[in-house]
Amino acid sequence: MAKKMLEVRDLTTKYITRFHEDVYAVDHVSLSIEEGKSLGIAGESGCGKSTLALSLMGYYFPPLHYMSGDIIVDGKNISGMKPDDVRKNILGTEIAYIPQAAMNALNPTQKIMRFVEDVIHAHDPKMPKGDIHDMAYKRFELLGLPKEALEKHAVELSGGMKQRVVIAISTILSPKVLIADEPSSALDVTSQKMVIKMLRDMMESGMIKSMIFITHELPLLYNVTDDIMVMYAGQIVERGTAKEMVFDPIHPYSKGLMGSIIVPEEGTRDKVLTAIPGTPPNLKNPPKGCRFAPRCKYATPTCSAMSIETKDFGEGRQYRCLMSVRKIREVYESEQQ
Amino acid sequence: MQGYRKYFTKKIIWFLITFVVAVTLNFILPRLMPADPVSAITGKLAAGNADAKAVQKIYDRYAEEFGTNKPMWQQYLLFIKNMFRGDFGTSFSQYPRKVSNIISSAIWWTVCLQLPAILVGWILGNVLGALAAYLRKGWDKVLLPVTIFLSNVPAFGMAVTLLVLFAIKWKIAPVAGGYAFDQIPNFSWAFIRSVITHYQLPFWSIVIISIGGQAIGMRSMSIYELNADYVKYARFLGVKDRKIVGYVFRNAMLPQITGLALSIGTMIGGALVAEIIFSYPGLGSTMYSAVTAADYPLISATTLIITIMVLIVTFLLDIIYGFIDPRVKAAQFDA
Amino acid sequence: MKNTLRQLMHSSKFVVGAGIFVLILLTMLIYPLINPGNPLEMIGVGTFAKPGTYFSLYDALDTKTETLKLKDAEEKRLTSIVSMEDRVSMIEFMEKIGVDVSNVQMDDVDTILELWNANFDETSKPKGVTNAKWRNYKTLNNRLEKIGKEERAVYDVDPATNEEKKLKLVGGTDYVNVNTVTNIKTLPLGTDNFGRDVLKELVSACGTSILIGLVAGAVATFIGLLFGLLAGYLGGIADDIIMFVTNVFTVIPSFVLLILISYSIGQEQRGATVVAIVIGLTSWTWTARSVRSQVISLRNRDHVNLSKLSGHSLAKIVLTDILPYIASYVVMAFILQVSSGILSEAQLSLLGLGPKTTTTPTLGLMMNWAMLYAAHTNGYWWAYFPVILTITLISFSLNLMNTGMDQVFNPTLRD
Repeated sequence: MAKKMLEVRDLTTKYITRFHEDVYAVDHVSLSIEEGKSLGIAGESGCGKSTLALSLMGYYFPPLHYMSGDIIVDGKNISGMKPDDVRKNILGTEIAYIPQAAMNALNPTQKIMRFVEDVIHAHDPKMPKGDIHDMAYKRFELLGLPKEALEKHAVELSGGMKQRVVIAISTILSPKVLIADEPSSALDVTSQKMVIKMLRDMMESGMIKSMIFITHELPLLYNVTDDIMVMYAGQIVERGTAKEMVFDPIHPYSKGLMGSIIVPEEGTRDKVLTAIPGTPPNLKNPPKGCRFAPRCKYATPTCSAMSIETKDFGEGRQYRCLMSVRKIREVYESEQQ
Repeated sequence: MQGYRKYFTKKIIWFLITFVVAVTLNFILPRLMPADPVSAITGKLAAGNADAKAVQKIYDRYAEEFGTNKPMWQQYLLFIKNMFRGDFGTSFSQYPRKVSNIISSAIWWTVCLQLPAILVGWILGNVLGALAAYLRKGWDKVLLPVTIFLSNVPAFGMAVTLLVLFAIKWKIAPVAGGYAFDQIPNFSWAFIRSVITHYQLPFWSIVIISIGGQAIGMRSMSIYELNADYVKYARFLGVKDRKIVGYVFRNAMLPQITGLALSIGTMIGGALVAEIIFSYPGLGSTMYSAVTAADYPLISATTLIITIMVLIVTFLLDIIYGFIDPRVKAAQFDA
Repeated sequence: MKNTLRQLMHSSKFVVGAGIFVLILLTMLIYPLINPGNPLEMIGVGTFAKPGTYFSLYDALDTKTETLKLKDAEEKRLTSIVSMEDRVSMIEFMEKIGVDVSNVQMDDVDTILELWNANFDETSKPKGVTNAKWRNYKTLNNRLEKIGKEERAVYDVDPATNEEKKLKLVGGTDYVNVNTVTNIKTLPLGTDNFGRDVLKELVSACGTSILIGLVAGAVATFIGLLFGLLAGYLGGIADDIIMFVTNVFTVIPSFVLLILISYSIGQEQRGATVVAIVIGLTSWTWTARSVRSQVISLRNRDHVNLSKLSGHSLAKIVLTDILPYIASYVVMAFILQVSSGILSEAQLSLLGLGPKTTTTPTLGLMMNWAMLYAAHTNGYWWAYFPVILTITLISFSLNLMNTGMDQVFNPTLRD
């Protein structure tokens, strides 16, 4: 069995709002990724997927607070480490991050090269500037980015170029886990393709050992990642391989999410698009029992009464529903007819 | 390089046009009034003088100097010509001193007082504003209302308060003037020390006033920058907090240069009035005595000089800003 | 609208600012009812009477007295008659004639007096004492002789014969109930250089200054709004021209223009309203700038485009599709304009270019008078300090309201 790059056990983090209310945006989440694998996390906006990305790095700023659980990166538990140790030894080197809005992710008044220097000096204060420059030039060349970009200010780069520069900087120290939070959502189709290709190439060449890719665009995940996890209201509701998740979703929420995708195939126009009714719950006081119950058309009174744990079935597949897999499949089948 | 040249040419042309407008306003505003300035002067001057002949003589003399007996456009040309020669006529209240003479002795006091004071106020204000934004919570809660309050004390109010406390109550600073009365301006140590002690109160009263406004502006800018995406990104790459604060401070401070350029015209008004309170021998006091004595030539020259000074400072700040903020470079130079 | 107000009420800054401002307004409205009359009436003949309650000594003489035997009365009287300066000069004198005063404490009045009475001889001037000093010592001695007298006499002078007639004796233990004295006047802030009631004057000046601020603010906001709307909405050449004018007037210091115009108008024509309008005319530039940038960001919104396509007139689009969206912004700009208008008037008045002085006081004029009569160097704090405090408080409250509104309308600044 391949080495586990990232293992997360029962991670819980919360936001404390201005009015001193607690919002549990990540609620007992467990996951693991092996070397060379990539994991997609999908969900509606507000389901806690971006918070999960921030929480995984073990570096917390108010209003986000760590509550409990373990984050194990390549065998090292980082959840108990001092913030400054995390900053120095984990961020950028073990876990790296690509932010949601890369357009503004770079300091507008700083040359890209100066920022690269700051990033590397944060982990290795003694590295001579000349070496850093060589390293940056080499990496940019390898990734097919123009070297001149390094001598420019962020304001002088185009949107797509900025995003690719951000990816290059994030991965410059060859991190073990790369967390990409909607890296391509704000880009046009061409730039989007370039970004995806770049990430795939980096995975293949081993420049990054594993990747978590967060998005609300499910078709994209099918093309990019090996496994997919679906999040709802701060919890994981289902996990499986990309293929399984797209063609055989078990949890009613996953099913609904897949059902609302438009796949450009023969006959799509006749297919009924099923939108999930209702809105995601307010995490300030989540519903008791199954959190999806209020929007689930198969829900019974029991669903809202008791809390539901994730259940395993098949190889590495998990889901969080009261019904058995067989029962669910039966229901779906009867619906088809 | 092409971009730079275009940018500066544009700025210089702009500066020249503003200059012409300012000078023209200075010329035309007093002449829009029903009575021409010369008859106003002679009216005041002749108030105690019954000899009609003498009044006529005075009138003729000033009419000659300002050319009020000529058509408007000739007066304007004369005004411009005299201005470039540095000839602003003869003062009426300090007759027969030349106005240029009075101005040139006052101008350095004002420049040496106001420029450093506004600059120090600007720097301190920015540091305080950044601190308030960075520390937030307790500090901010106390600091912000206090700064808003301080920034609303009028400049003359701050000047009077400092004067009464330090010069009259505790007697640790001199009451008035730019140097002690028994001193004659020279380069001796005693004179310089006298100048420095007289400098303190006017200087700090202007500094304290300008701190407030700058700090409030800087605080909002810094809060805005602290929430920017690049701060979050740099943090998640493990960049040290000190470095990040550096980025934020720099980015928030750069637009403050434009802020300073825009507010310098307003600030100078308050600062000039502060000079009056301390009887500081600068342009503010000169203007005050000119107004009190209805000395038209002196008023006209003082306002003109102040306008030109503000224009130059604004222009320089504009140029500096264009050089050091790449955001402007990207927006202006390539366009 | 209701919702906006409720939101504003959550901002502590806005509430405190509005509270202070309303308090000032209420004082302005209510105080003249309690203390009516012309604020410029010169009630005092002397200048700068100290703050406090004054009762007529004339009336007090006719008022029934009560005898009160208070223990510390004599002691207090003594320390008030023999001031610190007196004690210093007494000790100085005794040192000069060779009396040992090394053990005497400055607050021990009894000992100092005892030594003085034992050593001061009015008839022999010691050597080394100048004539002027000697005269001072003798006056001091005369004054000190009253100490210890049980009673003092009050005389009436017959104007015809110039004859003095003893009216009554006043003893050290005679007291008058202040409430029974017929004429009492409280001057909480004393009088100014012309003997006018400072508080009454201040309340009236505060009203005039706020009015000046409001007029100046209205003029400036109107011009700024008009230019900003036109420049922002029309764009193109109109924008270029208006922005050119605006930029020129931003750079030329408004204070200088203010001085030039005020001076040119002349003292006689300069009423409060004229000054207010002139201030407004010189301070509209930044309102125009910021309104313009707001309008530009609105110009291409869907609802504006829809109105344009529906063929609505320019006036209608501006009034219904643009103004409501920048209303909060304009109100904020207006508030700041009012505050800076009040300040401008004060600065102008200090230069001697303020409103005509004969009809109504303004805060700036009061400050100007106090400075002209050197109230600050002579310690008459009541003539200028309340004025400074009032200007500061008005401006502080307005700015606090503005900051509060800013935090409500610009969520990024919220804490």
